[in-house]
Amino acid sequence: MNGMRAAGALALGAVLLFLLGPFVVIALAGLSAGETLAFPPQGLSLRWVIAVFGMENFRASFWLSLQLGIGSTLLALLLGVPAAYGLARYKVPGREAIRTVLIAPLIVPGIIVGLALLRHAVIPLDLGVTWALTLAHTVLVVPYAVRVVTASLDNLRTDVEEAAVMLGATRLQSFFRIVLPNIRSGIIAAFILGFVTSFNQVPVSLFLTGPGITTLPIDMLTSMEFVYDPSIAALSALMALLSIAIVAVAERALGLSRYV
Amino acid sequence: MAPQQFGAGRAVFDDRRIGMALAAPAALFVALAFILPVAVLLSGGFQGVDGWTLARFAEFAEEPLYREVFWRTVKLGALVTLTSAVLGYATALAIVDAGPTWKGRWSGLVMLPLMISPVARTYAWIVLLGRTGFVNQVITGLGLSAEPLRLLFTETAVFIGLVQLFLPLMVLSLVSALENLPADVVPAARVLGARWPTVFFRVLLPLSREGLVIGGTLVFTGSVTAYITPAVLGGSKVLMLETLLYQRVSVASDFASASVIALILIVMSVVTHALLKRASSARKR
Repeated sequence: MNGMRAAGALALGAVLLFLLGPFVVIALAGLSAGETLAFPPQGLSLRWVIAVFGMENFRASFWLSLQLGIGSTLLALLLGVPAAYGLARYKVPGREAIRTVLIAPLIVPGIIVGLALLRHAVIPLDLGVTWALTLAHTVLVVPYAVRVVTASLDNLRTDVEEAAVMLGATRLQSFFRIVLPNIRSGIIAAFILGFVTSFNQVPVSLFLTGPGITTLPIDMLTSMEFVYDPSIAALSALMALLSIAIVAVAERALGLSRYV
Repeated sequence: MAPQQFGAGRAVFDDRRIGMALAAPAALFVALAFILPVAVLLSGGFQGVDGWTLARFAEFAEEPLYREVFWRTVKLGALVTLTSAVLGYATALAIVDAGPTWKGRWSGLVMLPLMISPVARTYAWIVLLGRTGFVNQVITGLGLSAEPLRLLFTETAVFIGLVQLFLPLMVLSLVSALENLPADVVPAARVLGARWPTVFFRVLLPLSREGLVIGGTLVFTGSVTAYITPAVLGGSKVLMLETLLYQRVSVASDFASASVIALILIVMSVVTHALLKRASSARKR
């Protein structure tokens, strides 16, 4: 048994090294004091991390990604929360079918969504780049919003609402005073999940970005081809840290893993 | 991570119209902003000069480059899934074997990469596999080769990148499946004289089969529909279906091929998701 234990521990260690090692590599490469991208780095310094904040193009694309993430997730929640509630608590005909429709964007590869929207919505309707991206990202996030909030609602006992209605509360009152506070952590979890999904998204946005207007991940992707200094590595490390921090906080505060 | 069977809550209120009104905006939005445009895009694959035709598909299949890309995508998908299964079982078994506190910690560590943008995750391989990258430094330093090896823009590089991207999904799915096994199954088999290979292939594997199917379909779909990893690590030398699609549209405005590729991708994705649903609902029995 000890032999197997040792083998198992070795496997675990090797796999974790394989999965997490690249982040250490990227972080160290981004902390390089040198001029070119290298690992091991030629000395450690924060110069590139600081420099990245000053790079105009990255600042602009970061800002766009941030606004896009917040905007599209809010829209998705605005659409998704009522839908989740309506489908969970009311005997709607074709409930499963509607649910499938709402979840459908998850199954289609993002690049197809982006291309389809470009050809058959953005161009015919002459939408601006920002609107196009917002539309696409909202489509992407709605399934997450619906799924997470539905999970939340499933965990909420319905007799509390029924009791409220019996005692004279209107449905609206019952929703805002009883349901909403109780699914609040679910909604926040959906927001975080949606935001992270939108922020890191590449395929959907590929066909929809315009000259000078692009998301941060795509900006990084295109820069990779001609940038040979550690700036992208520093940026990657920062983005990774941001994502980890958001999810760690969410897990601590809300138990994010319950909803996923 | 097994998809939960959601929406199992009891419908409470009888007023269907309110329910429909609440769900309408979202449903309409998804229908108009997603289903309609995608359907129109896919229909483009069936359109010829005089109307409906399958000629586009025939043309696609005749082009050697497209055939090569298709089979490469399927091949890499299968290889990544197989490798993830092997590594996944080793890792999952070690995790499940650990005590309750460590199990959560190891799982958390395995899940960590999933939170990070694929762009960052893939970029690290450029640093490691480039001509002056770490791996080549070691290889030339140790004298294993006089020249730095070309490791980037190869199928191997894409393969490695994809395994790193999707292995956590397999591990988590298997951990979930193995956790639910009764604790005395393995000791019982051992007491009855089974050796480890037998224990694995005849006890653990069959019992955790659904976790394997779920993990496998997630990994396969992900690999086959990947964009960033093939784009960064494969470039135009190692095209996969999505990078081919991007190239056809952005370079040649070849929307007919784009529609065909889109259809292939969707069919693959839908079929594997249907299998996924089968496997996870079978679990409920």
